[in-house]
Amino acid sequence: MLARIALIAGLLIVLIAVPPFLGIGWQNALTNMLIASLFAMAFNLLVGQAGLLSFGHAAFFGVGAFATLHLMGAIEDRIIAFPTPLLPLAGAVAGILVGAFAGYFATMRSGVYFALVTLAIAELFHSLAPHWDGLFGGEAGLSSMRMPWAGLTFGSPLQVYYLALGWTVVSIFLLWAYTRTAFGRLTLALRDNEQRVRFMGYNAHTTKVIIFSISAMFSGIAGALLAVSNETANYSLFSTHVSAQVVLHTFVGGSTVFFGPAIGASIFTLFAFYISEVTRTWLLYQGLIFVLVMLYAPQGIGGLVQTHIQHWSKISWPELGRAYAVAAAVAVCLTSALVFVVESFAIIFSPEYAAVRGRLDGAWPPFKLFGLEWEVFSPFTWIIPLGLLAVGLLLLPTARRMLRETWNHILERAEAARIAKSEIQLAGAVES
Amino acid sequence: MNREPVLELENVGKHFGALKVMEGVNLTIAAGERHALIGPNGAGKSTLFNMISGMFPPTAGEIRLRGQRISGLPPHEINRLGLSRSFQITNIFHRLSVFENLRIGVMARHGIRYGLFTPVSRMRTVNEEAERILQRVRLTQRRDHPAGDLTYSEQRALEIGMTLATGADVILLDEPTAGMSREESQRAVQLIREVTEGKTLLVVEHDMNVVFSLCDRVSVLVYGRILATGTPDEIRNNAEVQEAYLGEEVA
Repeated sequence: MLARIALIAGLLIVLIAVPPFLGIGWQNALTNMLIASLFAMAFNLLVGQAGLLSFGHAAFFGVGAFATLHLMGAIEDRIIAFPTPLLPLAGAVAGILVGAFAGYFATMRSGVYFALVTLAIAELFHSLAPHWDGLFGGEAGLSSMRMPWAGLTFGSPLQVYYLALGWTVVSIFLLWAYTRTAFGRLTLALRDNEQRVRFMGYNAHTTKVIIFSISAMFSGIAGALLAVSNETANYSLFSTHVSAQVVLHTFVGGSTVFFGPAIGASIFTLFAFYISEVTRTWLLYQGLIFVLVMLYAPQGIGGLVQTHIQHWSKISWPELGRAYAVAAAVAVCLTSALVFVVESFAIIFSPEYAAVRGRLDGAWPPFKLFGLEWEVFSPFTWIIPLGLLAVGLLLLPTARRMLRETWNHILERAEAARIAKSEIQLAGAVES
Repeated sequence: MNREPVLELENVGKHFGALKVMEGVNLTIAAGERHALIGPNGAGKSTLFNMISGMFPPTAGEIRLRGQRISGLPPHEINRLGLSRSFQITNIFHRLSVFENLRIGVMARHGIRYGLFTPVSRMRTVNEEAERILQRVRLTQRRDHPAGDLTYSEQRALEIGMTLATGADVILLDEPTAGMSREESQRAVQLIREVTEGKTLLVVEHDMNVVFSLCDRVSVLVYGRILATGTPDEIRNNAEVQEAYLGEEVA
């Protein structure tokens, strides 16, 4: 517990102290990281704790953003005076209201049907928004300005970042506190067995509507922060892409671990920021990461971290270190081979390259990749990825065996310790 | 013993489409009574339990709890009126700890349904009561284990504990000793007798030893009709019952 508090405090200090020394691009990326983290945490209240997988959470994210822009517009037009730092409250209110309404219908069903209703709700907003000028600004969307308040101009990305940080930290703390309340425990019970909850005197539907509304409220706050940061929003916020993104973040981070979704969202937003400038195929890599995590670490990155912490004292670090070193070598080989092939093909099949070829009467000029020039039909070009692939595949069985054996040893030691402990308890029971 | 009727079934019937599974069931259970419902497989015992507890409404007749009509009410409202049931197939919160399983029930008893503003660890009465039920069902040793990790008979004990935790005084137990060894079954009966002291009990049971050692009165359900109701001795000696159901098992 103490270690956890220290870790969180350390992380907070980094999040507060480091951004002023970063460029504007990074400050914006970090703001987006915070927004995505909060959105994923809000989403996970529903999926991880209540066991309700929503495919339409973009609806509440978007509603939060549009409500905030309306409030910002009213402030700009001097219709009302409202403190800029409290703007996300508009997102919270819109989120909880729309969430309660949509949730009332969606939570009448569970499982696949619930997922489909949420999907339909988001699609409803997505198709409605471009045609509703008054509320969503039509296809162009809404725009507004952050107004100065109490000496704070909110003109720089850094100030916006700190605003987002404050709201994210407070919101995540509230989401954590939620898990400690009676209702938070009931949420977990509902996930495990809805029928039994009903037969114990709880109205399962009302309970689900409340959980849904709270999740929508925090999603609305995340959307509001995006509106404050971008000062604009259009109907694309309601797209399935946004709904899918939060599912992706949550599951890659690990929906069974409290901070998992924030980990997933942070890694993916920073990955997107960093990689999308380098290559256009970054969505492919993102999809591959998702598939690999789901196949080989279904508990997500957070689940992996938690497993290590849980078995910390049972881990033989030299053994595990060796296994991870081999696995890392395999990963580097295979990833390099894949990236080389994908990036080469992306260039060779690009319209730009075709245009160059057209000018050269169909010849295949060398292409530039990683700062070097490569001949398309030279064996030397393709020996590199093939060699990396061969080495990776050759080492892959060894890496898998080492990982499996190492973890079997760890789990055996944990099991032995558990049995030894329960034997002591039994012996104690006999004596007394 | 107080002979005031607590649970009354009047002309209760149920059909699923054209299929009639129950007709004209009349049953009155007095306060403090321990009543067994027996009958061959498919006689409608579970259907009757499901109707009383609100899983689905009867298609005919009326069910009353202390004079108040409960037929047609949803399960959570019936539970709040003081009737709680267990399930034949263990129906617990597998990933929650044993203690939390019971605490969910105790929270319901105190009407803490939407408690969003106080940490549950600070609710002293709730926690103390949950601890007490934990002791009564003899699961203190397993307090912090996930309920899914318990042995079968421990899960059955937890099931009974959860049924009691909501504070109902009319308890419906659906085959509480199903799948247990003779020894486990005896212990379960002892436990049920202890924890339902002063409460009204309606129990579906196949094991005649359990029925005759636990209950004051027995009703025999055959083909969706009550064949006979009486004391264990009366039922044992009822020729019709012997023919229809008990057969050689008792003789």
